[in-house]
Amino acid sequence: MTSAMAQMRASSLAGALIPVVLALAIGAIVLAATGHDPLSVYRLMAVESFGGEKRLQATLSAATPLLLTGLATAVAFRTGIFNVGVEGCFYLGGIVAAGLGFWLVGWPSTLIIPVALLAAALIGGLWLLLPGVLKVRLGVDEVVTTLMLNFVAINLTSWLVNGPLLARGSANSATPAIQKAAELPRLLPLTTLNLGFAISILLVLLYGCWGRFTVAGFRSRLAGLNARFCRAVGIDVSSLVIRIMVLSGLIGGLAGGIHALGLVHRFVAGFSPGYGFAGIAIALLGRNSAIGIILAAIAFGALASAGATIQLFSDVPIEITQVLQGAVMILAVAKLGFGRGRGTAL
Amino acid sequence: MSDAGAAAVRVGARDISRRFGDVVANDRIDFGVAPGTIHAIVGGNGAGKSTLMRILQGLDRPDAGTVILDDRPVRLASPADAFAHGIGMVHQEFMLVPERTLLENMILAREPIVAGGIIDRAAARAAGERVAALAGAKLDWDMRAADTPVHLRQVLEILRLLYRDADVLILDEPTAVLAPAQIRELIALLRRLKQEGRTILFISHKLDEVMDASDVITVLRHGRVVGTMRPAETSNAQLVELMVGEPVELPTVTPAAAQGEPPLLSLEGLVARDGRGLKRLGPVDLALYRGEIVGIAGVAGNGQDELVACAAGLGTIESGAIFLDGAAITRAGTRRLRELGIGYLSADRAAEGLCLAASIRDNLIAGGEHRPPFSRAGLLRPAAIRAGAERALAGLSVQFGKLGDAVGSLSGGNQQRLAIAREFGRKPRILIAVQPTRGVDIAGIAFIHRQIVEFRNRGGAVLLVSEELDEILSLSDRIIGLHGGRITGELPRAAANLERVGRLMLGEAAA
Amino acid sequence: MLDTLIHSALLMTTPILLAAIGGMVNRVGGIVNIGLESMMLSGALVAVIAASASGSVLVALAAALLAGAVLGLLMSLVITRLEANEIVVGLGFSVAVAGLVRYLLKSLYGVSGTLDPQGVVMLRSIEIPFAADLPMLGAILSGQDPLTWFAWIMVPVTAFVLYRTRTGLRLRASGAAPMTAHALGLDPLGIRDASTVFAGAMAGLAGAHLSIGVVGLFNEGITGGRGFIALAAFYFGRNAPWRTALGALLFGFFEALQIRLQGHGVPAQLVQMLPYLIVIIVLTGLGLADRRRSAAIP
Repeated sequence: MTSAMAQMRASSLAGALIPVVLALAIGAIVLAATGHDPLSVYRLMAVESFGGEKRLQATLSAATPLLLTGLATAVAFRTGIFNVGVEGCFYLGGIVAAGLGFWLVGWPSTLIIPVALLAAALIGGLWLLLPGVLKVRLGVDEVVTTLMLNFVAINLTSWLVNGPLLARGSANSATPAIQKAAELPRLLPLTTLNLGFAISILLVLLYGCWGRFTVAGFRSRLAGLNARFCRAVGIDVSSLVIRIMVLSGLIGGLAGGIHALGLVHRFVAGFSPGYGFAGIAIALLGRNSAIGIILAAIAFGALASAGATIQLFSDVPIEITQVLQGAVMILAVAKLGFGRGRGTAL
Repeated sequence: MSDAGAAAVRVGARDISRRFGDVVANDRIDFGVAPGTIHAIVGGNGAGKSTLMRILQGLDRPDAGTVILDDRPVRLASPADAFAHGIGMVHQEFMLVPERTLLENMILAREPIVAGGIIDRAAARAAGERVAALAGAKLDWDMRAADTPVHLRQVLEILRLLYRDADVLILDEPTAVLAPAQIRELIALLRRLKQEGRTILFISHKLDEVMDASDVITVLRHGRVVGTMRPAETSNAQLVELMVGEPVELPTVTPAAAQGEPPLLSLEGLVARDGRGLKRLGPVDLALYRGEIVGIAGVAGNGQDELVACAAGLGTIESGAIFLDGAAITRAGTRRLRELGIGYLSADRAAEGLCLAASIRDNLIAGGEHRPPFSRAGLLRPAAIRAGAERALAGLSVQFGKLGDAVGSLSGGNQQRLAIAREFGRKPRILIAVQPTRGVDIAGIAFIHRQIVEFRNRGGAVLLVSEELDEILSLSDRIIGLHGGRITGELPRAAANLERVGRLMLGEAAA
Repeated sequence: MLDTLIHSALLMTTPILLAAIGGMVNRVGGIVNIGLESMMLSGALVAVIAASASGSVLVALAAALLAGAVLGLLMSLVITRLEANEIVVGLGFSVAVAGLVRYLLKSLYGVSGTLDPQGVVMLRSIEIPFAADLPMLGAILSGQDPLTWFAWIMVPVTAFVLYRTRTGLRLRASGAAPMTAHALGLDPLGIRDASTVFAGAMAGLAGAHLSIGVVGLFNEGITGGRGFIALAAFYFGRNAPWRTALGALLFGFFEALQIRLQGHGVPAQLVQMLPYLIVIIVLTGLGLADRRRSAAIP
């Protein structure tokens, strides 16, 4: 590794770490201002996330949805598409998978799981087809359309889960539980860590290879750097944009499906506590790279799972994790001397 | 030259230095402009002219040294500061708000108001008429800036400076976008302003105008002042020598007769609109033969962009047809056109010709990554890519570190050579070259011209679009004038001179 | 029946309108403010706390305005001085502030989600005696609170300022051509920040209307996505004050209608979806109109 490359790697790493450090500092201020000791809280969180096998599994389980929402967003960002609609795909994928999970009575695991996951992915992909086409054919800004579609999807699934798909006799808004056969198998006994985690990690790693070694990955990276240049040299940016948008939706929908089949085992109102939006932070922090996404997803997963448990052991409200998450998003795009704004492919 | 009591130096620099990272843009620059004179700054690309002007207008601050105003050192913190001292600048990229009217653009930041901050439109109009009369110009104040022709936009920029009582006017490459007749009008305007006692400082690399219009010339090279003299004391050749440091042999290009019929590229009845739907081109008939360079002469904004876009497959053709070797390619996309042998050297290498953030290697294979030997079954083949890149770069003396370096790290001249390397690497039959030497140093210009001529000598056809009339005159076998989207006439090289081409550019017969 | 519908539609419109005007001005200045929701939320909370602590509506409104303005300034500085992407920053603020609000409620007040202190003074409604008896006009003119009047007065005021004053011209220039504004001696970044502060202040007032204008307490879900509906409204309005107001009114009307139709078989959520769908339809329509007017964009 030449010194120039080493310098670039170092500044990339700094670019990813500095927002985290600054966010922790902001969180520390909030904690201190409300009478808690930041260091002991952070130590507790670190222990709760990574201290021991059980806790590590909980962290990885919490990271599972984030791996794919981060990936879905990263795939789009990398190509220069500002897609913020993964949250909506997550909801839609979740309800479709959960729906098939309880409808297809008597189907064996080997059939029902792939079918449900495939359907979840497909609905997500179809959902983002419209904003993709609007962007390419009519020049409509994809940020607004995908942002709006999130709310449409959330409201749509909310109506479904409170109405047609409501589990009979259920007080809270939830679909019936999926059948046992549709549940994703656990990777280890007595944990929530399930096959979904393995699938997600695999997909992220595949993405890394795709980005580095394939023609499509090359084109996607270059389109994100300079779409006008790509057009001038004969790369069909329009069809690339639509394809990547759909791919982003497929992954987002799959994320929701895995969450439904693997963890929650049904669809409920409030299915996603902002996993899609966290995905934006993860893509930015990870600079759209495979390793970056994995690390950032684990970090956010640690935050989520630690936050849940520290509520039991201290009187620190779990919402501090939301504050940290928002702060990371903001700081990840601020130009603090290292790194870049929206993040680029490594 | 100065009256008793007036300052000797109205605006100038004392020992100014400015660097950007490793690049020294200005190196201990000392110079002064006497009040009531027209002073020209010349130099090649990267000589430091623009940086110096930006410092004089408060857009940038020197690392060392100081700006001099009325013989006194002054610190200019911002353009507002500069305006307060009577200094205004017309930038190369016009500083106008496109959606607003000319009147609004003129009064922006110094609006006449009545109580409560309400703009006094009557007063604004009166002020506009007043400065327009001063300059002898006439403008439609309610027209949107975006819809106004380029030379009138420039007039507005100058009027805006007068409106703000600027007595020092700095002009950055003012004649770059003008036809010869418009250039004469501009110089007459500048002389009128000089008569009123204003001081004019302008950057140009067009030595004829500099010799014609200025009272004093300062030459910059590599960020240093290498000479100050009056036009009478020097010559074009001497200026070039000062700018470049050694006498440069600009290649004399011998015209070649077109080799045989029929045309290689043929445009018939071509009509095209720009991005906003305004008809910009057409109908146009143009034929390009093997072994010739056809130069398109026209003032910017007269259809060249649309012509080039259609030929390169990047624009939308409303009606008409394009034929390549007799086959219709009108609806073909860019990829197909490139496969058929049309190469394109963009005017804007930063935004379109190259991907500055990507590596040299990426830029060289982009557009061809899906074809063997660079890839197989969708997977890239790094070794073949590296070999292909090295092959493309051979013989084009691009100075670079490694294939993995970002293109943005190269100098302008090297970037352009890289773009040429990529285009020639695909063995095109036709090359569309737009502003091929913009922002390139003099040695690089000579090199690029040689490359284009050798391509033609090998049987290639070149469609050359350039705002540098010198370039058009020296390279083209035929010169075609474009005005208002229509072809105004054609001149063979033997019959072409500045006057005649200038008339073509303005839509008049070549007489 | 219609009268109550009109009255309630106007009531629902007010917070959306306030935030939408702020967002529109912000956009003219060059920033798309996705964080309006967070400014509304903080305004709502601060208004309740200040109202109960001081017993004065004026103090509560001032505090809410200030809270929104401060958040706006913070967000704007990150965007203009740290060159951060405005969409991401806006989303980040939404997430962070939502979390912060819940966190503070638990930490400082020991409540989870809802704050209902004693002595919250509410906005009073302004009755106009003779107008109140007019058939439909009565419902429009009489019985509205001061913030509603303020919101609607701001529409022509904003239009006037934008098109006829120096401030408006400079704002539009800073948004459309910041480099030009700078070259002419203006401070485009400062002007942008000012427009975000204005947007934050308006959103803060919008939040105050939700809490002390309608329900008299604070709940973490009180804004209910209205910050994003306001965004939809000013996208609908495309930087024109009256069109933006029309959009806000339309969405406010939907909300009132949806409440009325509950229990009549029309699902609330589907009506709630409408504003967002409308934005997409409007943008599509604009795109088509652009396309028809010119050659297709390559």
